[in-house]
Amino acid sequence: MSAPRRVLQPRAARVVEDESRRPCRIGKQVVESVREVWLVEDRWWTDSPLRRRYWEVVTEDGCDLVVFRDLQAGKWYSQRD
Amino acid sequence: MYAELHCHSAFSFLDGASLPQELAATAAELGYDALALTDHDSLSGSMEFAQAAASVGIKAIHGAEVTLADGRHLTLLVQRAQGWRNLCRIVTRAHARDREPDPPPTSVELDFVLAHAEGLVCLSGCAGHGVEDLRTLRRLLAAFGPENLKIELQRPFQRHDRASNRARLASARELGVRCVATGDVHAHAYCRAPLQDAFVALRHRTTLDASEPLRRGNRTHVLAAPAVMVSRFEDHPEAVTETVELAERLSFDLTADLGYRYPGSEDEFSDRKLAELCRHAFDDRYPEGNRHRGQALSRLQEELRVIASLGLAGFFLLHRELLELARDVAVEVRGPSSARSLLPPGRGRGSSVSSIVCYLTGLSHIDPIENQLLLGRFLNEELTALPDIDLDFPRDIRAELIPRVHERYGRERSALVAAFPTFKVRGAIRELGKVLGLPPGEIERVARAADAWAREGAEEDIEVALGRRVSDSSRWKWLSKLCDEAWGLPRHLSQHSGGMIVSTQPLIDCCPVVPAAMEGRQLCQWDKDSCADAGFLKIDVLGLGMLSAVERCVDQIAQVRGESIDLSRIPFDDKATYAAIQDADTMGVFQIESRAQMASLRRTRPETLDDLTIQVAIVRPGPILGGAVNPYIARRQRVREDPDYVVPYDHPSLEPVLRDTLGTIIFQDQVLEVAMAFAGFSPGEAEGLRRAMSRKRSAAAIEAYHRRFIEGARRTNGADEEMAERIYSMIMGFSGFGFPKAHGAAFGLLAYQSTWLRVHYGPEFLCSLLNEQPMGFYPSDTLAHEAQRRGIEVLAPDINASQIECSVVAEPGKPPHAVRVGLGYLNGARREEMQALMAAREEGPFRSLADLASRAGTGRPALELLAWAGACDSLLPADAQDRRTVLWQLGITAPGERVPAGTQLSLPLDAPRPPALRPLAGWEKMVADYTTTGLTLGPHPLALLRSELPPDVVSIRDLESLRHETRVRIGGLVVARQRPGTAKGIVFLLLEDEFGTVNLVVPPAVYERFRLVVRSEPLILAEGRLEKLPVAGGAINVFVHAVSALDAPLAEAAEVVDLQARAATAAGSAQPGAAGASPATAGGGDGEDLAAPADIHDFRGVAPAIQNFAGGRRR
Repeated sequence: MSAPRRVLQPRAARVVEDESRRPCRIGKQVVESVREVWLVEDRWWTDSPLRRRYWEVVTEDGCDLVVFRDLQAGKWYSQRD
Repeated sequence: MYAELHCHSAFSFLDGASLPQELAATAAELGYDALALTDHDSLSGSMEFAQAAASVGIKAIHGAEVTLADGRHLTLLVQRAQGWRNLCRIVTRAHARDREPDPPPTSVELDFVLAHAEGLVCLSGCAGHGVEDLRTLRRLLAAFGPENLKIELQRPFQRHDRASNRARLASARELGVRCVATGDVHAHAYCRAPLQDAFVALRHRTTLDASEPLRRGNRTHVLAAPAVMVSRFEDHPEAVTETVELAERLSFDLTADLGYRYPGSEDEFSDRKLAELCRHAFDDRYPEGNRHRGQALSRLQEELRVIASLGLAGFFLLHRELLELARDVAVEVRGPSSARSLLPPGRGRGSSVSSIVCYLTGLSHIDPIENQLLLGRFLNEELTALPDIDLDFPRDIRAELIPRVHERYGRERSALVAAFPTFKVRGAIRELGKVLGLPPGEIERVARAADAWAREGAEEDIEVALGRRVSDSSRWKWLSKLCDEAWGLPRHLSQHSGGMIVSTQPLIDCCPVVPAAMEGRQLCQWDKDSCADAGFLKIDVLGLGMLSAVERCVDQIAQVRGESIDLSRIPFDDKATYAAIQDADTMGVFQIESRAQMASLRRTRPETLDDLTIQVAIVRPGPILGGAVNPYIARRQRVREDPDYVVPYDHPSLEPVLRDTLGTIIFQDQVLEVAMAFAGFSPGEAEGLRRAMSRKRSAAAIEAYHRRFIEGARRTNGADEEMAERIYSMIMGFSGFGFPKAHGAAFGLLAYQSTWLRVHYGPEFLCSLLNEQPMGFYPSDTLAHEAQRRGIEVLAPDINASQIECSVVAEPGKPPHAVRVGLGYLNGARREEMQALMAAREEGPFRSLADLASRAGTGRPALELLAWAGACDSLLPADAQDRRTVLWQLGITAPGERVPAGTQLSLPLDAPRPPALRPLAGWEKMVADYTTTGLTLGPHPLALLRSELPPDVVSIRDLESLRHETRVRIGGLVVARQRPGTAKGIVFLLLEDEFGTVNLVVPPAVYERFRLVVRSEPLILAEGRLEKLPVAGGAINVFVHAVSALDAPLAEAAEVVDLQARAATAAGSAQPGAAGASPATAGGGDGEDLAAPADIHDFRGVAPAIQNFAGGRRR
């Protein structure tokens, strides 16, 4: 089973989400389709546990973007590997 | 809507964090109709799962996730009985090489699976390790067919799930088979998800921090509601529908379709054969004129009738056959001319002893008529499961008998019953602490301070041991949570103490059979409860240390004194034996030696074997929680003092059944008898009540019996509800473990026999106990000290006088007076080296150290070990005997060297005179004794400390003359620590000094204050109030107010450093098969308490292994 890979440092992102919390707009780019959704719930034994829902999306202008929502803080970040 | 077809329980061993019953119950709550259990290469949890699922009303589907030789996984589900048989064979095959040296990973060849496809449905395997290549899938398709091969889709919310599922879907289309959705469940609830992560790290022997790529990375492996699963697979609705359709097709029911039969069950003449056997023996046991003959005959006819009506004659014949086999084995093991040949090969225990058929066929040695034993529990017409027959054997006979049974019934048709050691607090702290990356030293400190048998509360253990709050650190907080969650989960597969099952058809068609750790033995994957639920015939072949010790003792007596003793014909009214029992002078004997038994003996003062039958049964959770113990003891004292005393009974109908035990319920069968006499239960109903009480999972069943009991009492005896409830609560109190009377009779007899041997043949008895260690309640150190106080000399190991084992010393024409500790007693001594030494000695005793070094054939570590133990002292002149001198001289001799062809001996050149060395004496010598042999025969540690103790500290001898309620300070070596679950948090310590032992009572509040000292210090100073109550029959207790650790004399402690390092070197060279038992490492059980590296400045590291919080030394 492949586990989530380490990715680069996340940066805060402005994401507009729909009622099912699916991202519809990232910055100025409109999301056209979702390629993959995955979930990371890890490092629970440390002082800084991770709980993130990742989205890999394709925007209208053809960009492939990865964003995640920090499930603890409720904030969005973008991250690229 | 959705059925879960891929689910792991804790029986996947470190890859599943919930019990089958937790999964079944949660599935029912979440609204599932069906759930499959698919553990890794294991069906260990399947019977438990089947029972649990039936009780919560969901359908149990059985299967396993099998590992293929190339490491890939397949999920196999059982469709019908043939499929179960095939799955058992596949799993058996997967484990076939588990015990080979350097074994390959558990796995099965694909061809083997393909050849055993009938009756099974194959799913293509999990997202990470499933079979995906079309070539293999085509082979699976050819074997299983399009209806029984499914492509498994999972959605673990990993990065490439959707792409992977799309690829799998394409394969399914290509092959023309359907997809099925599964959840790959590993836990029943979110609270267990972290534990599953920790298990993954533990399984890979790494830490959580280092195991990220190995873990699932999220909690989607927790059993989710069907609706959640439907939405998780919204892209694949057809795969969800398929789960339900498939679940409906899988019709195998493990509780009904197993088809097991025991050997002999098909023999139509078995009734006649059994009756003939019994009648043949009848005249010997009850000859004409025997006062029980008439009663015995009618009992025999009744039993034979019940046995015939239940079709169980074959079962009894099978047991007899087994005993005959044991008889042959016994002759071989003991030798035909041995004094032991008079003894039966083994003896019955448990409820089977109550049967006259068992008595006549030799399965039991207790006359059920003479002892008025009730049959009901063992055998009654409403019996729904096979009765148990338990046979106790001496250890050596048992060890030989087990492989012989495999031979007799065939390796495919017999196996040992499995056991599943579960996570307990200490092991969990050590293993999970490591996984969390906590400091090893601190983990060990916490583990040692933890209450080994507590259900939960690791948090408190951590706080007490570390002296800081758990909530201050995430990792420690998680350790406490994980330990609580892990408690009670099976850790691995192990062997039951002696249960064997045999079968007419190959057992591997009923249950997987795997090789056991000991060569020549094999295990089925089910534990005793699962075997009982499966209706397997279970024969308990138990090894009983005391039987071995008693046999050794009889052998020794024959050798040393030339007396031949038949233990079944010794006088059973021996005054000296009963005097010892009544004075609680019973250390070392069977059962009545423990601290609690001793306290009770002084009050009950047993006078007959019947009294002993009750005595051995009394200190058990059943009678204690049922509130029977104190009333019984008090009434017994009243009866002795006042012959006119009338024993009170709660109801007249109880008098006949509770007369022997003075109106209290002591025996398990009395539960049945009370239910029958008071509430009008039939024997079958009463046995049903007892079974319901003894199993946890039957709260509803117990309640049904409760109503019937109250109603029955009203109908039968006109009892009002209040009285009926009172008597019902007496019975319910008993629901913990208790002895059947028959078991009490068998054990009571052995208790008497061992006491008789101890009283009349003290040295031989002590010698046998030392050689059979570990067994019983006390370590060899305590046994030796007590024997010394009784005037038996215990001699230290000596290079020219000791045998490998301990031996009895006798001068010609005189009775033996001493026991010599054997060379095999040295911790880390290798048997072959000691044998070489014995062989060299046969050519003449060793005359000097140089002679020893050149001829012994042992290496330097073994010689140093002998020197440290004082075994070489006698090679020096009498006025210069000192271990340091020996060590110095041995150090410059040239011992033989190990070369490939054996040991190359050296020249016996005399060693030069040593420089002036300070002799090894006092504290150092004692520590050397404990380090090397686990016992000291010189001055007691307390005698060595006495002069440094505060002047007001009294000794145990002084307690005799002090008055009740006196405040005392007393020091000693702790020889037992117990906190019985039945004693409301009170801790009992047994303290030993150079004069004897005394019981310390530590109340809960004091225990909480001094917990670390009480739990872990071997030498303590206690302050408390003396209690000498006439009602205690002369027993002395100290009620403790405060306790502190006693430390070694400082000046000398530093000298011990080098000794420990050397001893560790010697011990490090020890291999499995080291000669003799090594008491210092013997304690613990379950491998939990194995000695950690000793703190080298300290007596703590070498103090003898003792009975510690019911953790037990092994018996």
